[in-house]
Amino acid sequence: MSTETVTPAARPVQPPEPSTARPPGQGRAATGFLLPFGLLYLAFILGPAVYGLIMSFFDASLVRPGLGGFAGFGNYTEALQSADFWSSLWHTLWFTILTTPPLIVLAFVFALLADRVSRGRWFFRLAFFAPFILPSAVVALIWIFMYTPELGLLEVGLAKIGVTAPAWLGDPTWAMPSLAVTTIWWTLGFNFILYLAGLQEIPRDLYEASAIDGAGPWQQIRRITIPMLGRTTTLVAVLQVIASLKVFDQMYLMTTGGPDFATRSVLQYVYDQGFTNFRLGYAAAVSMLFFLVVLAVSAVWFTIVRRQEKEV
Amino acid sequence: MHVPRTPHAGLSRRRLLGGLAAAAGAGVLSGCSSDVLSGLTASREEAGTLAYWNLFGGGDGVRMQQMLDTYQRDHAQVALSATTLAWGNPYYTKLSLATIGDKPPDVAISHLTRMKNMVEAGLLQELDPAALARHGLAADRFTPRTWEAGLVDGRAYSIPLDTHPFVMFYNTDVCEKAGLLGADGALTPLDSPEAFTDAMRRAKQVTGAYGGVVASISETSTPWRIFQSLYSQLGGQVISDQGREVVIDDAKATEVLTFLRSLTSDGLFPAVADYQGSIAMFAEGQAGFYFQGEWEISTFQTAKTPFSMTLFPHLYREGPYAVQADSHTFVLPRHPDTSPERLDRALEFVASMLDQSRTWAEGGHVPSYRPFLESAEFRDLKPQSNYAAAAEAAAYDAEGWYSGSGSNFEIVTGSAIGAVIAGQSTPATAVGRMRSALRDLARTPSPI
Amino acid sequence: MAHSTLAAPEAETAQSRGVTQAKIDQRHRLFNRICLGVLIAFALLWLVPLAWAVDTALKPNAETTRTTWLIDDPTFAAFGRVLSDTPILNWFGASLITSTLTAVGTVVTASLAGFALSRMRFRYRNLVFWAILAGIMIPGQVLIVPQFREMDALGLLNTYWAVSLPQIPTAVAIFIFKQFFDGLPRDLEEAARIDGAGWFRIYRGVVMPLARPAVAAVAIFTFVTSWNELLWPLLVLTNPDLMTMPVGLATVQGAFGIRYADTMASTVLGAIPLVAVFLLFQRHIVQGIAGTGLKG
Repeated sequence: MSTETVTPAARPVQPPEPSTARPPGQGRAATGFLLPFGLLYLAFILGPAVYGLIMSFFDASLVRPGLGGFAGFGNYTEALQSADFWSSLWHTLWFTILTTPPLIVLAFVFALLADRVSRGRWFFRLAFFAPFILPSAVVALIWIFMYTPELGLLEVGLAKIGVTAPAWLGDPTWAMPSLAVTTIWWTLGFNFILYLAGLQEIPRDLYEASAIDGAGPWQQIRRITIPMLGRTTTLVAVLQVIASLKVFDQMYLMTTGGPDFATRSVLQYVYDQGFTNFRLGYAAAVSMLFFLVVLAVSAVWFTIVRRQEKEV
Repeated sequence: MHVPRTPHAGLSRRRLLGGLAAAAGAGVLSGCSSDVLSGLTASREEAGTLAYWNLFGGGDGVRMQQMLDTYQRDHAQVALSATTLAWGNPYYTKLSLATIGDKPPDVAISHLTRMKNMVEAGLLQELDPAALARHGLAADRFTPRTWEAGLVDGRAYSIPLDTHPFVMFYNTDVCEKAGLLGADGALTPLDSPEAFTDAMRRAKQVTGAYGGVVASISETSTPWRIFQSLYSQLGGQVISDQGREVVIDDAKATEVLTFLRSLTSDGLFPAVADYQGSIAMFAEGQAGFYFQGEWEISTFQTAKTPFSMTLFPHLYREGPYAVQADSHTFVLPRHPDTSPERLDRALEFVASMLDQSRTWAEGGHVPSYRPFLESAEFRDLKPQSNYAAAAEAAAYDAEGWYSGSGSNFEIVTGSAIGAVIAGQSTPATAVGRMRSALRDLARTPSPI
Repeated sequence: MAHSTLAAPEAETAQSRGVTQAKIDQRHRLFNRICLGVLIAFALLWLVPLAWAVDTALKPNAETTRTTWLIDDPTFAAFGRVLSDTPILNWFGASLITSTLTAVGTVVTASLAGFALSRMRFRYRNLVFWAILAGIMIPGQVLIVPQFREMDALGLLNTYWAVSLPQIPTAVAIFIFKQFFDGLPRDLEEAARIDGAGWFRIYRGVVMPLARPAVAAVAIFTFVTSWNELLWPLLVLTNPDLMTMPVGLATVQGAFGIRYADTMASTVLGAIPLVAVFLLFQRHIVQGIAGTGLKG
């Protein structure tokens, strides 16, 4: 890593001045260069976004052509009054609460430890990061097996130390924590790498100086490492929260949202309503509400980043 | 994002490795079937293929595989590709999406209670009576209940393979010691709630643990099945008018729920048992009776449990006998290729499956194909023939866009019922919970 | 990073140099050793699920119900069964094709657009820039409902195009390229321009050859993300012979039932391609993530 790391989203906001001496006629050339992206962007992002918004005001059905009858705000009011919608939002939030703190703290601790190790760092990178690169389906199949009642590794392992395991994925109370454990195992590597990079940005002479000053390792961590990693932590936290909001794979694969819908996330609610119950219009409305939530979270992120920028 | 600007040292080594990987990839690609590349061109599959989807796992899956092997042996010229998917909502979602995406399987299994919604949605092909007759699949070859329950506006869209009723498993050793077997070795009839409770009590004395067991937690279908069996015997209905009305009968529902709860509160049934746990208890002789669909027969045969099976008891005698059941049917999803050759190939396949009804019946299901059902061969098949009468008394889940096996309907009702059996909720609360959840579904305009 | 705020303590500390240097060094060494121990323990713990999957895949199915690491009779039979009973090679092919399409498409479109934003001056430049930036805010998952309808209307369901096309326009990739181009010296371009080269020749002949690190980062990251995508391909690919690896594994898991060795063998086979990619491009992937600020 060189030292010119860019802060999240801050740099692109100000387009740099194009150099002054340029031949004329750039408009046409620019159009040509932007066209391939622009067409795909219009066709597959903006277009569908507009179409989805329109659809959310109709009773569109997956198995009927066209938009169906006009519903006004009917789909929105139904969603806002639906206990299932709110509980899916809560499940998503609960999942975020269960996964984010461990994913930040553990990744930080592991990176901190790994940073102090001079040899064999590749091994730790492999151990922590390898799961992250696996498809969710592979991760889910492995962990379903780990959680299998009677013969799963976890139950048998815990029995050896005298602990009776709960019915991990089968118990509505334990299902979400079980999914959280799997998720932590799966995605910790990403944050680990981010923290490791952040740690390497901290100039070594700071440590040397403080060591000369008589600071012990613990004091160094508290006074130098944690403050210097503040920005990385913001980044990690925001990426984590946004990723958690979009959670779908783990639930769909490991519990199909059960037992008794106890782990159904917002995205799975959209999937269920739109593609299992054929209610495309309603699913589009829920998608829009979900989009608002993601926007709100992103807005908070921007505010925080802006403030940090000013402080520095 | 920061991009490292490193010199290209070592790139040649990586290029070599990358080249090797690319070569390996190309090798695999050339090794897969041409289907892979058809994903780029959206081309049709070649003639002579037959794609078949089913949802059979466990013992059913093994038997289905045997039947497919036989079919393949007799029809070597057909390239059969059979796919097994996880059952429940995901299966039906996939089947619907595949049909909408114009790449449906030629033949698929569907529960009878899920099939009608697909018909309404225009996803299934109507079956022409003449074509059916040509392959020996005319209406009179099937049991009336399964055939007629599958008709939509008098038209056929499905070919029934079986009926799979909720049944009673009993441990023959336990029942004998408890004095519950008659001179002929058959179970004495349990013809009232009192007789049932008494039998459970006597079985409990023999096992020292429980009289009977039914799955109550982490599982919604089983509680629904036992409730629906008893509630139907009382003549109760849950929804009507294509699911637009909720018509739960409070008195009848409360009576059934109170009865089910009394079994666990008296310690005759374990209050908390999940699907696997309930199997284990019966297999290990901790419970003398076990209530579940007949498909668990293979599990106990493998476990060498001394057991037999019979009809789920007729406890409420005010009405005719009824028991919760569903049927597996063959359906032909709407397909872009409407050639008669493809239709014949599909029906030929279905006929071959039905010809192997014996193999299928060994897995516990009651065959709906009369040439086999009415044969001496089936009559001698025990304990399967003990409960064959259930097929004609089948209480299918009521019609509605959100209803059917493994549907939202079963999840909503089954979880409320399970909570009562497990002692986590009272009958009155459960009825209220079912009603409000079902009303939400009933109020929603049908998307089909 | 903010060097300036920490300049002061550095100056103060000089005087206390060497007071109890030996003792402090010792303290640090002990601490590092404890760190190493804890870290190794956790790393091993992290590897347990993977090791368990491999271990189970090497057992005969009958042995998998005894929860033990020891295998009486190790066998590759489960791998053979998975290869013959499921179209897993097809899934591999489908994943390879869709991920390659997505990666190549992203690199081409994003580098072109990034180049225009970095080098050209044109009207509505800021507007274009903000429109693209706004695209980052729309999570793809929000669009599955209308996109599905669109693919249906285009007749692209059950094709790889349906999987790849919506994944190609990624605003993040444009910013990566733009930033990279912003940092490139302009002398070479000017020289080429004097030689009469047009924009496209400058892009192809001068800038892109220099942009290899950016290309590698975007391509590899897109490839891996696309390979692991589940929700969207799950919707648009329903023919088992056309499914990508994650969709295929997710769809037929029920079919294995309690044949745990087969299930685990399928996960190992499903993991191998990505583990290979990881080992080949570890540095790129890690550096790509480390530099990420806009991902997600």
